Amino acid sequence: MTALTTPAPSRLRRSLVLAGAETRLLLRNRTAVVNSVLMPLLLVAAVRLLAVGGEETATGPRLLVTATGVTLVFLTYYNLVTTFVARREELVLQRMRTGELTEAEVLLATSVPTLLVTVGQLLLVALGVLVLGEWAAPVDVVLPLAGLVGGAALMVLLAAASTAFTRTAESAQITTLPLVLVATAASGLFFPLSAFPDEVGQVLRFLPLSPVVELTQLGLVGRTWDGDAVDLAGAWAAAPLPLLVLAGWLVAGAVVAPRVFRWAPRR
Amino acid sequence: MRPDAVLSPPPGPGETGPPAVEVVDLERRYGTFPAVRGISFEVRPGEVFALLGVNGAGKTSALEVLEGLARPAAGTVRVLGADPVADRTAVRPSLGVLLQASGLPGDLTVAETVRTWAGTLTSPQPVDEALAQVGLTGRADVRVRSLSGGERRRLDLTLALLGRPRVIVLDEPTTGLDPESRRTVWGLVRRRVAEGAAVVLTTHHLEEAEELADRIAVMRAGRIVLAGTAGEIAATQPATIRFQLPPDAPELPAVPGARLVATSPRVELHTQALQPVLTRLLAWADREGVVLAGLQARSATLEQAFLAVADSDADVDGAAAA
Repeated sequence: MTALTTPAPSRLRRSLVLAGAETRLLLRNRTAVVNSVLMPLLLVAAVRLLAVGGEETATGPRLLVTATGVTLVFLTYYNLVTTFVARREELVLQRMRTGELTEAEVLLATSVPTLLVTVGQLLLVALGVLVLGEWAAPVDVVLPLAGLVGGAALMVLLAAASTAFTRTAESAQITTLPLVLVATAASGLFFPLSAFPDEVGQVLRFLPLSPVVELTQLGLVGRTWDGDAVDLAGAWAAAPLPLLVLAGWLVAGAVVAPRVFRWAPRR
Repeated sequence: MRPDAVLSPPPGPGETGPPAVEVVDLERRYGTFPAVRGISFEVRPGEVFALLGVNGAGKTSALEVLEGLARPAAGTVRVLGADPVADRTAVRPSLGVLLQASGLPGDLTVAETVRTWAGTLTSPQPVDEALAQVGLTGRADVRVRSLSGGERRRLDLTLALLGRPRVIVLDEPTTGLDPESRRTVWGLVRRRVAEGAAVVLTTHHLEEAEELADRIAVMRAGRIVLAGTAGEIAATQPATIRFQLPPDAPELPAVPGARLVATSPRVELHTQALQPVLTRLLAWADREGVVLAGLQARSATLEQAFLAVADSDADVDGAAAA
């Protein structure tokens, strides 16, 4: 045996090597790059439409709440389902699984470009509303960050679980619909949960994307799920339930995703 | 996961050491279908072991357990003394795997692909050296998408061997390769074996098994039905003697130890004792002044033995495992 000349790469280091290659692949896909930049620009353009509503608060923070939810579902979740399935059907995942990287490292490294674009898009939106003069200081930054980080992690897990019933990258357009519909219609993203009857609204708060919207809204806008304006203390007083719901979904995802994930195509 | 598992050390000079791969009564099932039905074998460092069998015989299903990609339904598998699934962290740096079919992202170049893989390994070979070994140096900056099938397979093999593995699992390494690429692959495998690696491979090419393998096992319907060296396996089938008798020849005498399969004018004899039977036959022909036109005498080949057992549906359960 040849003596080792260099120490073995750490788990983080070896994952970053794969993440780097995945990012390079993304940058070589011109359509994906253009789409990544276009979506936040469209969202920022929509800020003027929102402003017509005549609300007393600045529209920037509200737009950023919407942008967070929209990006997590339409970009993070949808992209990851497509990517995981495409990599599986091309037999790339199976190949990666034969090396020293653990299975979790392979999936996380594969997710990195999508997660980078997620953060990049939200920064673009924030920058856009700032430039348009629609920004207002947030009530709290920890809660929105917790919502974003937890939400992104949940999207990775839900995407991994969704590959179990997604045969091809194309069929992801259909298999991702349940979460997309739930998120857009019943998570407080486009219609506030306070618009539903109170009992219904209370139940909808337990849907996977609802706590993310709730937390970002508490911090960025200073408004609870049922429409009350709150300060920093009020925001934190309203935070335990959404934090718990988000944590619950993360645990459920962490249990289910590794069990149902398939590494090789069905033959 | 048992991260603290310790692998068996490589054998010192002149030692044979413990087996690098030990498979005992391995079974695998898909639902109720038994894909592997209790097979056992071991492979020592510096040895090549080939699994032969038609499609569906269970070769790949057996290898997936060695590779740590699947758990056995029953039985045990040890790679360098450790469990490939439970002791994954310990085993993987010493295990090189070439899957029967595997993909690589098409938009990375050959060099980027190898560099990325090297960055995830404990003890990688230098990238340039690895590419040179498989003759891909000139293709280093070509995107994987543009490679020919043979080039892609050689790239796959490069990745499998890049971590200087002590145990190498190759599932149909040369299927779809042209003869020259096939020889390149054989040369690479032989070099690693000479350095002490243990190799388990499956193949459809009997020539490949004869060329590379020290020992061969033939699988059928999830079991090993024949095992041994290529010579031992071939010897399970009778040798064949063929010739043509002239019309006026006297009747062929009964030759002890030979079975007459076809009679005149085209005669075919099967025998387990080729030399004595042939001697008697030639002595008779000499005595009688008979010319045996087109005389052929040949020992059974691995191919004959393989065809005799590998594809027959009959008597699967009663087949005598060697």
